[in-house]
Amino acid sequence: MPSVKPLRVSDQTQSESATATMTERPWNVVVWDDPVTPMSVVVVIFRKIFGYPNNKATQLMLTVHHEGRAIVWSGSLERAQNYCVKLQVAGLLSTIEQDS
Amino acid sequence: MAARLFVRRRDGRIEVRLNDAARAIAREAFGHVLAAESDPEHEWHASLNGPIDPSHDVDDPLAIFNRQHEVTSNVELAVATLSEEFLNDAEAWAWLCTLQIALRATITAKGIMTSERLNESDESTRDYIQTLQTFLFSLADAM
Repeated sequence: MPSVKPLRVSDQTQSESATATMTERPWNVVVWDDPVTPMSVVVVIFRKIFGYPNNKATQLMLTVHHEGRAIVWSGSLERAQNYCVKLQVAGLLSTIEQDS
Repeated sequence: MAARLFVRRRDGRIEVRLNDAARAIAREAFGHVLAAESDPEHEWHASLNGPIDPSHDVDDPLAIFNRQHEVTSNVELAVATLSEEFLNDAEAWAWLCTLQIALRATITAKGIMTSERLNESDESTRDYIQTLQTFLFSLADAM
């Protein structure tokens, strides 16, 4: 039946698209607050690791301070892991999580 | 106004103005980070080996290897430059990372995860934390 084939193709495409959407959800790099790390140190670390300008690094630091955590970068799993490792090497409490 | 312990010079280098006692504290902190990296029994070991992706029981082995390698490289560079009068940017970054790891490992080992717990901690712990914070404040200011 002529109508079946296009429908199957369409269904398959939709299914693949849904799968792609699922797997392409970005990974977030999260930095968590602690009671001792100096604010200026966090800003220096964000500038150094991400290359962020001072105002963006400061805004993210303030989000960590006031909200307890901040998403500091989003993207592929591999790069998120790399950034998370660099933040941990710099002594910050950092994890990754997939965007919901 | 507190004396600056690290000062950026016109030639780009960072001058280290720590006296012998302060350098001894830095030496001790660096030594603990180096020991904790390889000794599972060290009280700072857990802090240096936190999860990367908490939703998984085991992290990517390559990410763990990279973390260990970078921490070790930084602490070895920091130890090697402990007696230097001037630091270049890479050396200053190694100092900052290693001092910050020592600071966080101290509070993690003692369960100080809130400001209230920090205020309740013993005087020697608070003094040690404040000393490391003073080093970090000044170093970050110079970077």
